[in-house]
Amino acid sequence: MNPAQVTFGAAVALALATAVAAIVVPRRVVVGAGTALTGAAGLAAGVAAVSGHSFSLVLPGLLPLSGVSFTLDALGGLFVAVTGGVAVAAGVYATSYGKASAVLPMFVLAMLLVPAAASVGTLLVCWELMALFSLLLVIGENRSRAEVTSAGRWYAVMTHLGFVSILCGLMVFAAHAPADSFAALREARLSPAVSATVFVLTLAGFASKAGIVPLHAWLPRAHPEAPSHVSALMSAAMVNLGVYGLVRVGFDLLGGGPRWWWLLVLALGALSAVHGILQAAMSTDLKRLLGQSTTENMGLVLVGVGAAGLFTASGNPVLAGLATAAALLHVVNHAAFKTLLFLAAGAVLHGTGTRDLDALGGLRRTMPVTTALFGVGALAASALPPGTAFVSEWLLLQALVHGLPPSGVDTAIALPVAVAAVALTAGLAVVTFVKAFGVGFLAKPRSEAAANAREVPYGMRAGMAIAALGCVVLALLPSLVLPAVAGGATTGLVTLRLTGVTGSLSPLLLTLWLVVAVVVVAAGVRGVVARRTRRDARLWDCGGGPMSARMEYTATSFAEPLQRVFDDVVQPELDVHVTHHEESRYLVRAVEFRRSVPDRVERRLYAPVLAATRAWGRAGRSLATGSVHRYLGYGFYTLCAALLLLAVTR
Amino acid sequence: MTETVYVQLLDLTCGALLLTAVLILWRRDLSVIVRVFALQGAALTALVAVLAAHERSGELWVIAAGVLALRAGLLPYLLRRTLAAAGEPQREARPLVNVAASLLAAAVLTFLAHAVSRPLVTLAPSPAAQAIPIAVTVVLIGFFVLVTRRHAVSQVVGFLLMDNGITALGLLTTTGVGLVVEVGVSLDVLLAVLVLQILAVRIRETFGDTDLDDLRELRD
Repeated sequence: MNPAQVTFGAAVALALATAVAAIVVPRRVVVGAGTALTGAAGLAAGVAAVSGHSFSLVLPGLLPLSGVSFTLDALGGLFVAVTGGVAVAAGVYATSYGKASAVLPMFVLAMLLVPAAASVGTLLVCWELMALFSLLLVIGENRSRAEVTSAGRWYAVMTHLGFVSILCGLMVFAAHAPADSFAALREARLSPAVSATVFVLTLAGFASKAGIVPLHAWLPRAHPEAPSHVSALMSAAMVNLGVYGLVRVGFDLLGGGPRWWWLLVLALGALSAVHGILQAAMSTDLKRLLGQSTTENMGLVLVGVGAAGLFTASGNPVLAGLATAAALLHVVNHAAFKTLLFLAAGAVLHGTGTRDLDALGGLRRTMPVTTALFGVGALAASALPPGTAFVSEWLLLQALVHGLPPSGVDTAIALPVAVAAVALTAGLAVVTFVKAFGVGFLAKPRSEAAANAREVPYGMRAGMAIAALGCVVLALLPSLVLPAVAGGATTGLVTLRLTGVTGSLSPLLLTLWLVVAVVVVAAGVRGVVARRTRRDARLWDCGGGPMSARMEYTATSFAEPLQRVFDDVVQPELDVHVTHHEESRYLVRAVEFRRSVPDRVERRLYAPVLAATRAWGRAGRSLATGSVHRYLGYGFYTLCAALLLLAVTR
Repeated sequence: MTETVYVQLLDLTCGALLLTAVLILWRRDLSVIVRVFALQGAALTALVAVLAAHERSGELWVIAAGVLALRAGLLPYLLRRTLAAAGEPQREARPLVNVAASLLAAAVLTFLAHAVSRPLVTLAPSPAAQAIPIAVTVVLIGFFVLVTRRHAVSQVVGFLLMDNGITALGLLTTTGVGLVVEVGVSLDVLLAVLVLQILAVRIRETFGDTDLDDLRELRD
């Protein structure tokens, strides 16, 4: 029994015990504490596995026919650790938030089991369990609201289509291998056509779980409508497993592949990153914004994974390792800051009852702790030096830039475009999170609800604080995690030698310099100002009377310049409605301005499919007239036709 | 029992099975239909008994006794009770397909059954296997009754006709599928008939008739 096995077993036992306890004693404290403990055990198991204590476990009797087998190796361990870490924060948060649900620990358990699965059957069962438990959590609370049921329907359909895609891909794979265990799949010799089929099918399934464009439509619906700690779990832990599946199947089981696979992944990643962050920048719904930012970050991860595959295919293992490490580090970082941001968004929702940025503002006075923690999260999410995302995005850019010299023509075109996409994404992310923080939390409250906000209970603050601590540690000391991530990246052909990378990047020093600079500048300004005599006065308001909340920037107006720049890309729908005075058309009584930014990808791709499905459904209704005889007749004629076919063809 | 007598008896009982099925299709008076159905139960019993005598199997004798009790006794009794509860003599007034066309359809179905079961017969050309097409025909005629008759009781008879055919098919192909399976299937059929009986009574109480097409308005 090695430590990984013990702690992983403890996590499973804790999750099951919590679920049972939650049914017996439906209290938030029980569920939250149990989930947090499960997460802690999972975190320990993941860390142990990453540091070399992998284990295997085969339970042939648990499932008929295929049996169940688990192997926790370094790659799986990384994802188990991330899931565990997110679960700790979400569990602590749940001690004073939401309904006590026995499904929560089971969801965490399913997410811990997916990266440990070591056979196709086990993986598929755990994957489906994860999808079902998360679906239950999404629609569990507020199921009477129309948005929630709609989001649940979208999520259920998309996740199951993705599951079918993965199922088909892995079944084709297993059919060409002696057995369905991963060890047997690694030995299988596939023809290029078969392995390409397997890769494309599994890529579609895993990408839909990761919320990659164009399979992202469920994500900005389901993540915002779920209770916030569930959003955090889904957005910070569950989407990662899409990346895990891609890395596991693409690198580990299929052993890399031709360049076009990875160019495809790279292109999808770059598209998702830019599309996600553009939508987020336009969004005025706080949680929807965060959900769209998840698409963006998963896109960045996929850029890293695609670049790693490209470098592997062109025989450059060092750069491939660097790109993989960047991608996996970004998975870890994104998990940290997205947990914090979603939990803080939940706190805002709890305190004010709204998540519309245009109706928020002024929370700095009423909810200081939440404001500070959201600020930490927003800084972490924008790729600026003291932030968490900066480290991984910087690594990613390094990998892409250094990949240029030895590459072929396709790579020579793809990599600069990817660099541009990553840079654009990083810039837009700053705008997005400045908007979310500045408009949502600073200035004056723009609505009654925001003005009367109340700070959240201690349990929720503690959950956010844990996530914030994770962000700060990852931002300042990424070298703690980087070797582990690089260890996780040693799968198949990809090995990483980190010489010269950790040396040239020292975020701690960078932050130190930044703090010193800020202090020097502040002291200098103070010194200059202190010489003059102070005079209190009203803020300059052009003589227009006292400044009111209506004069502030709103989320819509803040994003307006950006929307002009990207007008052709996002194609916003504007609606200006002017009401005149009855006496004269020249006197305006009120101007109403409405702007919505529909998802163009969704509109182009999904609307025709949905319309076709609806037409089919209508056609189907005319078959069902309500006559019992007609229904029986369908069966009878079909049977006779089948028999006739049998008689004729034999 | 010599082989010739066995084959002749087998053909006779199977012929009776087919004849009763066609009779059910021909007659419109529901009480006559139920009586013919009881007759078919007896024919099925005879078929099982012939097989039992030929195989010298005690288990088959038990099954024969069970079939007699259920299909010639209990089920017709239940159907008669349903009819009696309705009072006035009931007729299958307007079947969806008229009687002449029904008989022609039965002929077509017989051809179809023969064509389909040819591979099964050639697989093991024993006298019992030669009779498989008859059983398939009974199943198809039962389904046809289910589809074309409006009255709830004749629908139940159609359902039971299918089940008789399936039982005969099982016995002819495997000479007994085992007592446990047979008992299970019989219990199932009995329960289905009980439920349908209650349903028929309720439908009549609610709508004054047991024409199933009156339920058309109940769809979403």
